[in-house]
Amino acid sequence: MTAMTATHFSFETINRGLPAFARFCTYLGAIAGITAYAMYGPSGYGDEGLLYFLTPSSFAWIGIGALAGLASGLTTGMTKPSVTEAKVALNLVSWLDGALMMILLAAFWSALEPSQSLITYTDQSNLISGRVIMTMNIVFLSSALLYITYLFAPASIVGNLATATAWIGVYSGGSALLLRWYESYLLSTEIGHAPVSNLYEVFILLFCITTVIYLSLERRYQAKAMGAFVMALVSAGVFFGIWLSARGHADIKPLVPALQSYWMKIHVPMNFVGYGSFAVACGAGMAYLVRDYLEQKGGNARLLAIFPSLDQLDQLAYKAVAIGFPAFTLATILGAAWASEAWGGYWSWDPKETWALIVLLTYGAYLHVRVSHGWKGRSLAWWTVSGFLVTIFCFVGVNMYLSGLHSYGRL
Amino acid sequence: MKMPVWFKPWFDRLSSMSLAIVLLVLLALASVIGTILKQNQVQADYLTQFGSLWYNVFLSLGLFDMYHAGWFIGLLGFLMLSLVVCLWRHTPRMIKDMRKRKVIIADKSLQRFHHLKHWKLNKAELTQTIETVRSCLSGWEQKTAEDGGKTYIRADKGRRNKWGYILVHGAILIILVGGWIGSQYGFRGTMTIVEGSTDNTISFVKGTGTGHLKMPFDIRCDDFFIDFYPTGMPKAFRSTLSIIDHGKVVVDHKKIIVNEPLYYKGVRIYQASFGDGGSDIQLKLFHLGTGKIETVKTKVYETWRDPKTGVSLEITNFRPFNIENMANPGEPKEFKDLGPAVEFILRGPGLKPVKVKTFMRPFVMKGQDRGNLMLVSLTGEDSDYEPFSLGLDFSQPTDWKLYRNFVDILKKQKKDNSKTANFAAFKSAMSKVFGNKRPKNFQQIGGRVIQGMSNLSQVPWPFIPVLEDYDQVYYTGLELAQDPGMNTVWVGSAALVIGLCIMFYMPHRKLWLVLEKKGNNVKISLGGMTTRNKLDFEQEFHELLTKIEQGFDSSSSEGSAT
Ligand code: HEM
Repeated sequence: MTAMTATHFSFETINRGLPAFARFCTYLGAIAGITAYAMYGPSGYGDEGLLYFLTPSSFAWIGIGALAGLASGLTTGMTKPSVTEAKVALNLVSWLDGALMMILLAAFWSALEPSQSLITYTDQSNLISGRVIMTMNIVFLSSALLYITYLFAPASIVGNLATATAWIGVYSGGSALLLRWYESYLLSTEIGHAPVSNLYEVFILLFCITTVIYLSLERRYQAKAMGAFVMALVSAGVFFGIWLSARGHADIKPLVPALQSYWMKIHVPMNFVGYGSFAVACGAGMAYLVRDYLEQKGGNARLLAIFPSLDQLDQLAYKAVAIGFPAFTLATILGAAWASEAWGGYWSWDPKETWALIVLLTYGAYLHVRVSHGWKGRSLAWWTVSGFLVTIFCFVGVNMYLSGLHSYGRL
Repeated sequence: MKMPVWFKPWFDRLSSMSLAIVLLVLLALASVIGTILKQNQVQADYLTQFGSLWYNVFLSLGLFDMYHAGWFIGLLGFLMLSLVVCLWRHTPRMIKDMRKRKVIIADKSLQRFHHLKHWKLNKAELTQTIETVRSCLSGWEQKTAEDGGKTYIRADKGRRNKWGYILVHGAILIILVGGWIGSQYGFRGTMTIVEGSTDNTISFVKGTGTGHLKMPFDIRCDDFFIDFYPTGMPKAFRSTLSIIDHGKVVVDHKKIIVNEPLYYKGVRIYQASFGDGGSDIQLKLFHLGTGKIETVKTKVYETWRDPKTGVSLEITNFRPFNIENMANPGEPKEFKDLGPAVEFILRGPGLKPVKVKTFMRPFVMKGQDRGNLMLVSLTGEDSDYEPFSLGLDFSQPTDWKLYRNFVDILKKQKKDNSKTANFAAFKSAMSKVFGNKRPKNFQQIGGRVIQGMSNLSQVPWPFIPVLEDYDQVYYTGLELAQDPGMNTVWVGSAALVIGLCIMFYMPHRKLWLVLEKKGNNVKISLGGMTTRNKLDFEQEFHELLTKIEQGFDSSSSEGSAT
């Protein structure tokens, strides 16, 4: 999902039919290439981690895979045009475009990195990712301001700027994380690890995921007024992130043995898809409550005209929970699988696990309340808002107040 | 299915949505209690924390081992019962609905649809129109019927959506059953083995106490290895284990690390932790009163008692590396290994018990020997350690000698406390120790001794303990577990995720098309409905309308929307 697709017709055409399908096949080929390289590559994947994939031979494998993908995509697409209409390819290709752009952006930043001799573990202030994250903070805060401005001055330029800044924020945050991944290897190969190992890193991930989920809903359902609420939540998170970095939590630190597992790279991001969607649901709930309040007061028709209808907001909140609930369930199950491999049992009633269960129960109850009669509208909106408070406690509160096996992220 | 009359209301209640909601909320609340109130702690700690009244209330509610308390298990059992009844009640009807798709729909029902559209095609052929419409509905499951001169087409997407419901609720049942099997027929506990020795018993938390279980085999820890990052954090640790079953070595020198367990006879053996396995410790005690130096041999986890003074040292831990960040907050970090250190609790008559960490090597900063350092914690918590500089470098015999001589001479010239007298005393102590040949670094030594004079006088203990030598052994902390219910749980989990995806992402969408030939024209009505995800359906419906209208394009169409 790129920022420009909606606005330029020329971009629309490459997101349809054969161009999109062939591109999709190219990406699949590249992914197959990298997978094959990881499994059958010459030296074998080992302790080098990410660096293993940043070698000429790895690029050759990826390139061959991509070319093969492109070729087969073009031939099948031309011989059988109906396959180019496949929904899966059309839906996924813009996400893959975005991922590629993020990687290219991170590669660009990495060229600005100071020389290797100046990169030290003890002083990480000269790393570029810190600056990109600072940019992301500023961009997200401006985006929130623009969305709020849009509520009161619904000029389309303000709205478009708000959306554009939100996208810029996502790309800076995402590329900063990728860059940080690379930087961790610059510090030392033994330190190198995916940037999902401490609270500071996952906060950035959370901003990006929340914003992306919101933006894709915005685009599909023209729900721009909701942005003010979602981006306000993201901004609150940005301030927390700044506080964390002021407290010295922003440094790249080596991984304790328990976290040295591929499970970390799956379990943690999956959790954040859940958290992010619940944040968006909370934004929709808040928008619902505000609209409801405005309607009751019988005032401000101009403001009301921008808001989606109550029914739409209710559906949007549900939609967000419908993304978050399966994702968070899967994340919890993946966590249990990891626990069974690292701790000797899939469930230990450790505070973090238990709070994840509480979050699931809360949203499970929400879903049942929706289906059963009687409870509608406002109480459901309150439920999404308070559900998000539960989620926040699971996410940060547990690290602050409760100790347990998950104490890697202690504050 | 027949059921007794008296049972019907209970059946309804058990399968009601309100009960499901109440159960979910209750379970969530109970879990909150379980995380706020630390579980399975030492009873005495609870007693001091809550006082006897609340302690007894909490104890009788089973809150200290809540997840095994009868009422909590009962709650889970109730959830299972409710799920069974729910599934029992809904599944047959759902399966029937999924199979049988009613094609013919009454006009009145159709008029009530949220999504509805009518067209009138002039001069159109019925079969031709049906063909057009059906091709527009490619991707939809279609079924046609004729009745009373009307042609009905029913089209479905996500027809199997109700399987989502069945899978999700069945999966939760399966997971709970798996958990129950695990708790009944499985075990999980820890075993700590000192390097070189063998053990076969695990211990685990049982209620508010500790339980033990003998394994059907012995485990020997052949070797333990640990590697640190430059920051002092453990980077990797690994045990080399052998398993001995009935006197035979069945697993020989197998290495295990965190995240990569060993599997033997249905038991998983995990690398979980490590610690000191009772290292040999040799301390030197520098007696402040007599000046004597005493060598003491002890072990970690043992207590050494001085028979003369009654002072005891309970050795709690030993570490060969002690890496600390020497930089002030905000400055670039500066990691430094302070060398081997032993920790002990010092107790004695008239002394406040304190926790102490004492080192083997002096503290060297910027190339300068600053003498030995001790960390002292008045509370016994590691976080309260405060550095205390002893001044003297105890690894250099001359430091202590000079200090003792200086003290002795000062004692003799008690009356005169002037600066010059003190200086004279220091000078004579110097020449007593070194004679005419002062070492090159005598100024540094002198500085340390003078520092020691003021600092050591603050020490209330009869001696200064300094680590002299050690022979380290580790223990490896293993976690042993057997869980016959685990695979059931994984099956349930897979079903849960698949079910959720079906439920949320393949909503059941239904369309009815009613076509009727009226003279030269064909009248068409299209109605659509869905139970879930209405926003998307709205878009889908509109896209479909456009598509159908484009299909009609060749023939003149006259649409009228409702
Ligand atoms: C931990 C326990 C449970 C979980 C995680 C769970 C999950 C779900 C989910 C995700 C939905 C879909 C809601 C939606 O369509 O938006 C649902 C629906 C439903 N649940 Fe549950 N459920 C649980 C327990 C129960 C229990 C105990 C009952 C019965 C008393 C029940 C009865 C129902 C019913 C009747 C529906 C509506 C199905 C439909 O019409 O599509 N659930 N459940």
